[in-house]
Amino acid sequence: MTVSTDYTAQEIIVVAGAKILEDNKIVFVGTGLPMVASLLAVLTHAPGLIPVFEAGAVGPPLKHGLPISVGDSKTFTGASYVKGLNGAFELTQRGFADFGFIGGAEVDMYGNLNSTMMGDFPAGYGKPKVRLPGSGGASDMAASCERTILIVPHDKKKFNQKLSYVTSPGHLDGSPGARQKAGMQGKGPYRLITTRGIFDFEEKSKRMRILHTFPGETVESIQENTGFELLVAPDVTQFAAPTVEEVRLIREVVDPNGAFVKRAAK
Amino acid sequence: MKDKRMTLKEAVSRFVKPGDNVGIGGFVNIRQPIAICHEMIRQGFKDLTLSFQSAGMAPELLAGAMMARPDHCSIKRIELAYWGHEAFGLAQAWRYLAERGMIEFEDWSNYNMSARFKAGAMGLPFIPTRGPLAGDIKNTSRTKIVDCPFTNRPIALLPASNPNVALIHVQAADMYGNCIIRGTDATCAEISMAAAHTIVTCEQLVSHELLVSNPKDIMIPFPAVDAVIHVPFGAYPGACRRHYYFNGDAIREYLGCIAPMVKGGSADGLKAWFDENIFGVETFEDYIEKFSTKKLIADQLAEAYHCERLA
Repeated sequence: MTVSTDYTAQEIIVVAGAKILEDNKIVFVGTGLPMVASLLAVLTHAPGLIPVFEAGAVGPPLKHGLPISVGDSKTFTGASYVKGLNGAFELTQRGFADFGFIGGAEVDMYGNLNSTMMGDFPAGYGKPKVRLPGSGGASDMAASCERTILIVPHDKKKFNQKLSYVTSPGHLDGSPGARQKAGMQGKGPYRLITTRGIFDFEEKSKRMRILHTFPGETVESIQENTGFELLVAPDVTQFAAPTVEEVRLIREVVDPNGAFVKRAAK
Repeated sequence: MKDKRMTLKEAVSRFVKPGDNVGIGGFVNIRQPIAICHEMIRQGFKDLTLSFQSAGMAPELLAGAMMARPDHCSIKRIELAYWGHEAFGLAQAWRYLAERGMIEFEDWSNYNMSARFKAGAMGLPFIPTRGPLAGDIKNTSRTKIVDCPFTNRPIALLPASNPNVALIHVQAADMYGNCIIRGTDATCAEISMAAAHTIVTCEQLVSHELLVSNPKDIMIPFPAVDAVIHVPFGAYPGACRRHYYFNGDAIREYLGCIAPMVKGGSADGLKAWFDENIFGVETFEDYIEKFSTKKLIADQLAEAYHCERLA
């Protein structure tokens, strides 16, 4: 396998996301890069992946390519079960989703995610510094999927001790049984993929822990770009750079129009 | 059953009143009630509350109208899960209005809003869900966390949403208001059932006999509907399954008229867009006529490819 020399930060996220997905699992897929990674997984090692899209499609084969919305017509063609939002979320609340795959703008050390606002909270809620789109289905997936996989661009300003707003709860304050005490179900955040590496959440403390560094990054460089202290797994390894074939698939087959994976400026 | 066919003009003037809570159907830019929004903007509206789960162009048009013509159009409050355009970008009007503190809003999730409409549709005052048990949605909304009287575990109670009027676009309807929906049901049935009045636009207006040939296909039943209007391309430039795919260029072009205002720029471009596309025309058909036939056919063909069927 020839290693790509011109892959972008988004492309390595997509490859990492695809590799984390397991074949034949039910994955509730959020909009954006999770859709791209899911389609790449279907085309490579996980042809039996069962995606659920919140607008109501369950298990489409995605033969017509990348949906550009979670309600896209492409998610309905060939789907096994088709309803609306209540149908998809009821199935999830009942406990049928193995994974939830979501993105966010800001994350803390316990995998809590923000996709609502940046600014002073609660005082500035009504007039935020930056208003983001809002939860969509992310907070529902966070509360009910068995495990969640998160994608957040890695930037010191976005990896904070305290979030502007907790949209999608992860391991909350990290205390034992916090999710169950709050009434939620599922084990919470399982993996976090960023532009610098792949992380898990240490079993006892539920704190974010470096698992794999992306090429060009070290434990130190990742810590420098994180606004809180990271844990480090005992056997941190480097995640292999995407192959030429993986990058070709993303550019030519999965997202040829650059709907979510932006092309590098030439 | 009563014949509910009327013009879009008549439906909007009869059923959308100042101060109304307006429930918006569809999902992001799929099956949004775009034609109804155009007519509301032409007639003007005051102090509306908009309620939706995930929406794109419908609120973007209504809010853009408020930015271009505050004397003619105003929104007071929004109850929502997500306002954006996914692959086509951020909701510029959302940023503009929220970051300047010009509207009230209440954040929910997609399931929270869908469940709230469902409670409204069931005629119940609230619904329990697991969505907002932790995190800040419960702190910025009317969510009540209680101990379940049966399991003693915490559960979130959400207030029902019963809009004054629902705006819904569907694939097919009959004159009585029975509706068939293809692709995502979104939350259209729940919103229609929950609302005091419902305006339906449809791609196809067909005989009652044909529409009910498979009665289980009926997604919205006639008693929930007050007005039926035949409006082909009624969700355009958004998508409508079996009919047309997204016109992303038109969505991005409109967002591009609002974007400069987020950074403090002038409203001239946005005003010009409204003058040309909404205030300067009589009907939604006149707006559709501005697109080239070639483009409209291309968007129909793209959709036909996604759900291949014999003619």
